[in-house]
Amino acid sequence: MLRSWLYRLDTKASPYLYILPFFALFAALSAFPLLYTGWVSLHDWSLLEDEHAFLGAANYLTLLADPAFWNALFNTVSILVLSTVPQLLLALLLAHLLSGRLRGQTFWRLSLLLPNLTSVAAVAIIFGQLFGRDYGLVNWVLGVFGAGQIDWAAGTASSHAAISAMVIWRWTGYNALIYLAAMQAVPQSLHEAAIIDGASSLQRLRKITIPAIRPTIIFTVIVSTIGGMQMFAEPLLFGGGQPGGGNDHQFQTLTLYLFEAGFGRFDLGFASATAWVMFALVLVAAAVNYLLIRRIRST
Amino acid sequence: MRLQRGLLVPLLLLAVTACGGGTSGSGGTTPAASGAAGGGAKTKIVIGTFNDFGYQSLYQEYEKAHPEIDIVERVAAAEEHHRRVATNLATGKGAADIEAIEEGWIGQFKANPDKFHNLTELGADKLASQWPEWKWKTSQSKDGRQLGLGTDVGGLAMCYRTDLFAKAGLPTDREQVSRLWSTWDGYIETGKKFAAAKLPKTAFFDGPIVMYRAILGQAPTGLYATDDTVVVETNPEVRAAFDKTIEAIGAGLSAKITAWSADWNAGFQRGSFATIACPAWMMAYIQEQAKNAAGKWDIAAIPGGTGNWGGSFLTLPKQGKNPEAAFALASWLTAPEQQAKVFRAKGNFPSTNKLYSDPVITDFVNPFFNDAPVGKIFSQSVATMNAQYLGPKAGDINTAINNALTRVEQGKQTPDEAWNQAMTEVKKIL
Amino acid sequence: MDLTLARVRHARRRVRRPGRLAYLTLAAVAFFSAFPLYYSVVVGSLDNSALGQVPPPVLPGPNLLSNIQRVFATVPFDLALLNTAVVAGAITFSQILSSTLAGFAFAKLRFRGRNGLYLGVVATMMVPTQLGIIPLYMMMAEIGWIDTLYAVIAPSLVSAFGVFFMAQYLSGAIPGELIEAARVDGCTTFGLFWRVILPLARPAAAVLGMLTFMNAWNDFFWPLVVLSPENPTVQVALSTVSSGYSVDYSFVLAATTVGTLPLLVVAAVFGRQIIQGIMHGALKG
Repeated sequence: MLRSWLYRLDTKASPYLYILPFFALFAALSAFPLLYTGWVSLHDWSLLEDEHAFLGAANYLTLLADPAFWNALFNTVSILVLSTVPQLLLALLLAHLLSGRLRGQTFWRLSLLLPNLTSVAAVAIIFGQLFGRDYGLVNWVLGVFGAGQIDWAAGTASSHAAISAMVIWRWTGYNALIYLAAMQAVPQSLHEAAIIDGASSLQRLRKITIPAIRPTIIFTVIVSTIGGMQMFAEPLLFGGGQPGGGNDHQFQTLTLYLFEAGFGRFDLGFASATAWVMFALVLVAAAVNYLLIRRIRST
Repeated sequence: MRLQRGLLVPLLLLAVTACGGGTSGSGGTTPAASGAAGGGAKTKIVIGTFNDFGYQSLYQEYEKAHPEIDIVERVAAAEEHHRRVATNLATGKGAADIEAIEEGWIGQFKANPDKFHNLTELGADKLASQWPEWKWKTSQSKDGRQLGLGTDVGGLAMCYRTDLFAKAGLPTDREQVSRLWSTWDGYIETGKKFAAAKLPKTAFFDGPIVMYRAILGQAPTGLYATDDTVVVETNPEVRAAFDKTIEAIGAGLSAKITAWSADWNAGFQRGSFATIACPAWMMAYIQEQAKNAAGKWDIAAIPGGTGNWGGSFLTLPKQGKNPEAAFALASWLTAPEQQAKVFRAKGNFPSTNKLYSDPVITDFVNPFFNDAPVGKIFSQSVATMNAQYLGPKAGDINTAINNALTRVEQGKQTPDEAWNQAMTEVKKIL
Repeated sequence: MDLTLARVRHARRRVRRPGRLAYLTLAAVAFFSAFPLYYSVVVGSLDNSALGQVPPPVLPGPNLLSNIQRVFATVPFDLALLNTAVVAGAITFSQILSSTLAGFAFAKLRFRGRNGLYLGVVATMMVPTQLGIIPLYMMMAEIGWIDTLYAVIAPSLVSAFGVFFMAQYLSGAIPGELIEAARVDGCTTFGLFWRVILPLARPAAAVLGMLTFMNAWNDFFWPLVVLSPENPTVQVALSTVSSGYSVDYSFVLAATTVGTLPLLVVAAVFGRQIIQGIMHGALKG
């Protein structure tokens, strides 16, 4: 009697104990800032002043009427697509290569981590150097092949490409490692059977590995989408630390737009409204992604 | 809105103990405590600066003379520094005893003067005559509170490459060069002669940003009227500075390089451009970026007369615990003797009147710039200056106009389109 | 020599062992991955003028040690390294623990409100972090944690990313039958967690730990806000080093090299373990 009662208690109640540490800490340290941000967004709230007049939805209306906001949204989505798709495909391929029997396994795997190990300060300096118009290494290489000099920061397409290159460089190994961990759980026997059937390496990737690690793929797509919607460090560094995103805001992402309002103009109310709109947009983007991937699964 | 400490602290304690508090707890205290407890019986004064104020040796000197004082400096890049100060003031925690604030930001902080000590109450009125009136007033709020003591000023001159001028068949002597361009029209004419020599990969000036700022800095009124109304559209001087810069670009004289970019840094060394308007602090920048180009750069007078760009103030946020001790240090650091030392070591040009005729400044020559008498050049530039009034958002407005100039330079827009877009952006900033 | 037999053998080998193309790809990736790090060492060992040169210098110069000495003389870098190790270690430990616990519950346990709460976790990842800074700062100020390591550690103790990651991994890697079998054997939930889940979660926990540690080590935005240069983390110290009207890049890159070195050592030492952990998990799964 007691035993079965204890058992029921264990199965019904204990799950909450497992999620408690996360939610308790989250409530204490993240929920308050979030809600507070919502409160701030309804006010004319300058960081430099003590009086904050209530505005209602005015910040939100100003935001939605601002062409610069829509421009930032376009840039964000453009860079997101340009960086995430090649990055995840490449990561998948790399993880697949690395899950085979290679000489120097540890070396190759660790080399994937290097971009993420590299300090942001170094990344800023070196990529700034690589993409310089006059003395940048990339243009120098292009010049060797007879191409003209590209002013990377000046154009919309070229700046998006350069920033995407930075993102791909920094995060491909990270995702490859996540895939690799998931691939270890795929039973080796499946691969062996496929090899006996004469399947090529790429066929095995498509037919066995990808279906088997689908939850992880969904995970990385969603995380990359969320990360991409909040892209901050790379465009900021590319713009020399200025949140404006170029002379025509051609690579100003949403987070830079938010940052410019909050910490450039110290308009915290407007920046908070931006944060909440971004939250909604990210939610939509993640949902769209999730549905897309589910459809791919069902077909 | 305040936090309810009663609820939060136990929650956090619970949280910490639930997740291996031993690690974070014991590890967290040790290094933190060492930072706080170091002072002992000494009075600790924290000073927040940005970039390079050149104060290191002065702190030691001061601590030697005042053994009871322990000075700690926080340094950050300019934008980070001002962002932090704004955050600290807004949240009421974390500001240093003394915070340096640059001219471009002081307007924003002046809008809320209650966050700072009124320095006249600490005795600053006796010191006021050290500075030119405009420098003194720049850190004074509308209600007459004195927020800051001036450190350096910008002043304006023109830096140029003697080697490139020689190749282009132009005079290289600084007196002769100065005579080529008493006005900006003369500067553009000289530029056309320079361009006619068709030196490979070399333009006459770097790009629009520095030139526009220099021209605007010479006008009696800039972006703001003294009552803080924005006059960008009504003050013809702003559009004139814009148009003059466009004219120089149109004549094909610009290297089309964005200021403070990697190409700009490399350009100083490689001679991508032959001239650049030089506020005093730019000298240090060029010396750092173009170490191998020593002796190739020289300094002449700026076209269009005197003007200012840059310079900072030391302020005392109300949060500081030792206003008297902090004021003593701040006034000592900004006293003429100390400003002279900083200039000779770093090149930041003093903001105090009496130095402009003092041989300690006027006799100073800079070997990197061909032994140019930089002390004399900048003294002349600054002594006669009556700097324009800078409003709260001057920095952001200039960024919008800089972007417009760059768009024109890159052929994205006509001057009028670019100007109109900039004006739209300015309205958003306000 | 029988030609057909040789061809079959060759084909078989190609299937089993990755070919040259694979190694070439990996070598290219390794090259690009390592380049900025290597280039930091090169420029950090030369002087400032090295950066603008085309073609760029490829070999280190003689100034690395003197530049590094300058770094230690300019900022309290030893304290920064210690602080960062404490911060990154605490954050990593806490995140692995809380994420594995919650990930297990979400992936393998049934309870009322599970789906809603799980969605909540995913949704919290979507909150733009940049703006939480002001309220979070006020909170830290209220508790009196400004300028202490607590303020850096506390906001990162848990991560929705970690929970999501572990839950997704565990739901894929651990078959339901295994759970049922353990239940039939009379395992309590904790027994299940301890005996079944923890060993199987090792590869994912190792990867999560490594990624968390790296990110904690390289995080600069928040530490910059709450810490002062007197009590910095590595990235705060680096930002002090790289401040200045005129930035001496060789100096900064020498500093970033020193700041990254411990992380490289950690990756090299623990990386082997992690990769063995991955292999270990593979054998069992």
